[in-house]
Amino acid sequence: MSDSFLSRLREEPRPEFKERLEGRLHEIDARERERRLAPSPYRRFAPALAGTALAAALALAFTLEPVRAAAREFLDLFRVKRFAAVPIDPARLERLAKGGLDFKSLVADQVQVVVAPQPPEAVDSPEAGAVRAGITAQLPAALPARTELAETKLSPAASFRVQVDTGKLEALALAAGADEIEIPAFWNGATIDVEVPPVLGVRYARKVEAVDGRPAREDSFLLLQAAIPQVELPEGFDLATLGRLGLRLAGLSATDALSFSRAIDWRSTLLVPVPVQGGTFREVEVSGHQGLLVTFQPPAPAEPSAPRPRAQGLVLWSTDDKVLAVQGPGAQGGVELLEMAQSIR
Amino acid sequence: MGGVRILEWLAPDVPALAVDWEAVYREEMPRVFNYFRYRGFERATAEDLTSATFEKAWRARDRYRRDRSAVSTWLLAIGRNVAIDHFRRSRPEVPLVEDAATDEETPETAALRAGQSRRLTELTRALPERERELLALKYGADATNRAIATLTGLSESNVGTILHRTVVSLRSRWDEGGPQ
Repeated sequence: MSDSFLSRLREEPRPEFKERLEGRLHEIDARERERRLAPSPYRRFAPALAGTALAAALALAFTLEPVRAAAREFLDLFRVKRFAAVPIDPARLERLAKGGLDFKSLVADQVQVVVAPQPPEAVDSPEAGAVRAGITAQLPAALPARTELAETKLSPAASFRVQVDTGKLEALALAAGADEIEIPAFWNGATIDVEVPPVLGVRYARKVEAVDGRPAREDSFLLLQAAIPQVELPEGFDLATLGRLGLRLAGLSATDALSFSRAIDWRSTLLVPVPVQGGTFREVEVSGHQGLLVTFQPPAPAEPSAPRPRAQGLVLWSTDDKVLAVQGPGAQGGVELLEMAQSIR
Repeated sequence: MGGVRILEWLAPDVPALAVDWEAVYREEMPRVFNYFRYRGFERATAEDLTSATFEKAWRARDRYRRDRSAVSTWLLAIGRNVAIDHFRRSRPEVPLVEDAATDEETPETAALRAGQSRRLTELTRALPERERELLALKYGADATNRAIATLTGLSESNVGTILHRTVVSLRSRWDEGGPQ
């Protein structure tokens, strides 16, 4: 029974309608970008929470162990135990993209979202959120002056599966000029499972009165904590090569990428990219654990009369079973953040 | 701030990494538009409803879960709700296709298509609501029986059976009308 008489009446939407609707969708994108860039604390909350989970995604791009023994009986695991900063030039990827590198789709085609990240949900208290996150809440004993608990949220678990496509990795290496990196053929089709645990976020706020012509504002300090994220790697998988490729894409020279990849323990170190322009970082000690303090001063606006954006900061560290971060104002080298982090019990 | 800005840049994109929304728009917009056309909406209304569907989807795309449904099915689910809302406000009784020629058509082919469309509209108008909905999803949106089953809550085999029966009946009545 032919049913072509039913389907042949389909019609193409008018080109002017296509364009008009596409324009409207781009307007939605633009408004969403503005919303994300606005300095509201919870705008940053979800991504930063996801950032811990991002261990996984970042691990794929930037990390992992050097070639080790040939065969292993069990799956390898990457567990975040420490953080290390790597200076990168964010504009480089943009330049590569302008040169024809479709970075997004080259990576996207290899990533399957198994459980999509969801927006953080409000919870009654840090303790209640911790129960749902499967962790014990740790809270600061000391807060910056005039700062109070504002709200608590929980970012649900998410998971991703990466299926390696060596053809796409080779295309990335070629575009990055990293022809010294050989992508092993046996990687093709290998799967990497990334489990992102729930992340508990506690926001503390401080109201700052208007002074000297500067408007009143609210400063936020976000304490984020989650069980240690881990990544299941295929047996004997050499992800140090992937790490080198990520470093090369980020702008490191072949020599620097190689020495960097030899200098760290890829099985447990999560690299935190820090922009070359405006970014600073240093190792710090937090309650006996090695951590990383990153600050960033956004560039001054083009309009001279516009207020200069305030510096932001982030302290990252891990304990035996958790990763923690404190994020907030980064003035004076992030000293308030560090003091708050060091008081957490 | 540095690290966080980078994380911000990456983190919201993780779900997006798996879905190229620009490509989704290019591929799925005509299907959604034709779903509305086959539901009997005139072109301008179908465009409005298609816009409403995509604007809703665009704002909610961070919540799209690939593990639960294909993106085309997700969009059609939104589109069906948009249509239901529209039906609640006003029940249109309009021809499937207007006489106006599109840019690619001659007046003759436009007139032929309009004639066929009017006949098809007359034939489908007599169908029960469920059958009309299944036809719009199958032939307007080009949805698979499995996707239609997901959207309507019917079993896949039931969808196939209903569609087959409906097409046989329509075909017979279509042929009775002679060549178009």
